[in-house]
Amino acid sequence: MRRAVRLLSLALSAVFATASASHAQAPKEVVIGVIYPLSGNLAQIGIDSVTAMKMAVELYNTKSDLNLPAMKKTTEGLPGLGGAKIRLIVVDHQGKPDVGQAEAERLITQEKVTAILGSVFSSVTATTSQVAERYGVPHMNGESSSPSLTERGFKWFFRTSPHDGHFTLAMFDFLKDFEKKKGVKFKTVGLMHEDTLFGADSGKVQEELAKKYGYEVVLNMAYRAKTTSLDAEVGRLKAAGPDVFFPTSYTSDAVLYIKTAKTLEYIPRMLIAQNAGWVDPQFVAEMNKDIEGHITRSPFALDLQAKKPLIRQINELFKKQKDNPGGRDISEAPTRALTAFTVLVDAINRAKSTNPEEIRKALVATNVPPDQLLMPWTGVRFDEKGQNAGVRAILQQIQKGAYATIWPFDLAAADVIYPLPGFKDKK
Amino acid sequence: MPAGTRWTGASILLLLLLAFPLVFTQPHPRHVVITIFLFAMLAQAWNLLAGYCGQISLGHAVFFGAGAYTSTLLVKYFDLSPWLGMVVGAVVAVAVSQLIGYPVFRLRGHYFAIATIAVGEIVNTLMINWDWAGGARGLFVPIKRPDSFLNLQFHQSKQNYYYIALGLLLLAFWITRKVERSRMGYYLRAIREDQDAAASLGIPVAAYKQRAMALSAALTALGGSFYAQYILFIDPDSVFPTALSILICLVAVLGGIGTLWGPLIGAAILIPLGEWTRIYFGGTGKAMDLLIYGALIMLVSIIQPGGIMALAQRGRRRTG
Repeated sequence: MRRAVRLLSLALSAVFATASASHAQAPKEVVIGVIYPLSGNLAQIGIDSVTAMKMAVELYNTKSDLNLPAMKKTTEGLPGLGGAKIRLIVVDHQGKPDVGQAEAERLITQEKVTAILGSVFSSVTATTSQVAERYGVPHMNGESSSPSLTERGFKWFFRTSPHDGHFTLAMFDFLKDFEKKKGVKFKTVGLMHEDTLFGADSGKVQEELAKKYGYEVVLNMAYRAKTTSLDAEVGRLKAAGPDVFFPTSYTSDAVLYIKTAKTLEYIPRMLIAQNAGWVDPQFVAEMNKDIEGHITRSPFALDLQAKKPLIRQINELFKKQKDNPGGRDISEAPTRALTAFTVLVDAINRAKSTNPEEIRKALVATNVPPDQLLMPWTGVRFDEKGQNAGVRAILQQIQKGAYATIWPFDLAAADVIYPLPGFKDKK
Repeated sequence: MPAGTRWTGASILLLLLLAFPLVFTQPHPRHVVITIFLFAMLAQAWNLLAGYCGQISLGHAVFFGAGAYTSTLLVKYFDLSPWLGMVVGAVVAVAVSQLIGYPVFRLRGHYFAIATIAVGEIVNTLMINWDWAGGARGLFVPIKRPDSFLNLQFHQSKQNYYYIALGLLLLAFWITRKVERSRMGYYLRAIREDQDAAASLGIPVAAYKQRAMALSAALTALGGSFYAQYILFIDPDSVFPTALSILICLVAVLGGIGTLWGPLIGAAILIPLGEWTRIYFGGTGKAMDLLIYGALIMLVSIIQPGGIMALAQRGRRRTG
């Protein structure tokens, strides 16, 4: 009985909605499902990303003239869909692939979302994209870095960001460029990585590329992600003495490494980190002078705002968001999410429809120019596997407590500090 | 309650469960019930060892993962049907359980529980570093099209997964009931009540603990295989975590440990509760869902530490 009443009221409200729509030409709505980690140890990344996307939704739903994809317009909403407004449905996947799968399914079948965006963890993106593929719904991804995601050749899966292969390639390209420029020669490299998906992938790709580029891997160590001691590892590093050291660590283990290295007085000539711990703002604040001269790869650089006014504009807006207490600067995670989101909205706008197949065609035809991107990429164009072909990884060095872009040399905002100063010299 | 009424009640429940996917055609409600079946089954398997035999294991994820990985690896490398993979997975889990049980059963009470956590962590670390099995990267179950019962893959609808999960649950119930009424059941309960007294009466304590562990492991592995085929992606983090072992234990304890219906009741309450709190409060990023979920679990354990079954039994005693 109650079910019947609910059905009836639903039908009635639908009738009224369409009736009033035809009167006032009220725009339709585009509903996008956003699946992010909002609890657990990477929750902050999810929360910041959602903040950035909500900011973008506000911009799309009002008149805005920012030079982001499909955002320069004189009307409210999306011009391609007669001024349709965007609505986000945000859900938490808790870092669990099965939760991600269930949520993707619920968003598609019950909430009738037009597209899915998510979800940081490569393992969760693996299952949410399976669901999207099965139902034929566009799935955009802005940050999962496992190369295997786009290797599956899915029809409905698109990734704007570089994967671990691109990032690691950049590190070795940098080494070669640097050798040429400074007339130095590196012979040996040492690798150390935490043992979850992220670290294992990174260590594997680094070992392969090091060999390919003609460096001798003198050490390749994995350690437990939740370890409380790295004494043995750093001791072995010191004994092996590689020219260049590549750590892949999350924040707490990165802190542990620095403290141990300081105690054991281990200083490699050059240190290139695989992002993660090294791009955590808290890490930089806490470690301060002890990480002066450390290099990390990154898909985003705040110091490019001198060359890219768009970054400054967005950063000012981001700092004012209410879910951003303390007015922190925009960082890597929210810019990645924002980029993926705007590329998706751009495709929906060009498709002039919420029909999935039309949106997919628009996504395939995507061609976002570099001046509409916060990222230092050459644009967004998807290859046949759905991977953005315009990606470019950059390297940043911590100089005087801030990130300075040092490579590619044509984007560089500062010179490379080399070799790494000792802990005593940094005081 | 007379036996006749009980059977009528059980048959009505079964009929309702059989009819459920015909009424609710949306994937999400079906998914929730499938998850309830899966966890009721896992909790029932755990209950066999912990509830009837008194050995509190917090490492059951090892058997779950063994099932998930065995069947997936066999599909991936040897193209073996997951149905056979399930059986092999159960055999592997039994072998593992016997290896673990031999040293660990020498410990009692809390020491046993702690040792099972340690075993779980060790296996998790091994799997993360085992490249052939995908390492930390995890494994995709190869997708077979079109849908086929032989391959245990259904991409069109969840209905078949639903009935398979229900079948597994019924299997777990049937086995538990058999055990409950057999000589083994009496032995297990005797061991639970007082191990030394049981031994003095001539019950081969060690052997029966091992048997209970084997049965429990085999059933848990079936659940793991089903999970892998249902989600189509596994990694050590999702099938070997201590959090999973604890959830299994929580479902059984909440419903009522050492009872036939406890695990089903526990799963029927805990799983939807987790889903709903996440759906309605999870999107805020303030972890409200986890707070509410945690508070409710605490509430139940304070009000009725014997689980919901104990509550029901108390009510029944009162009414006469």
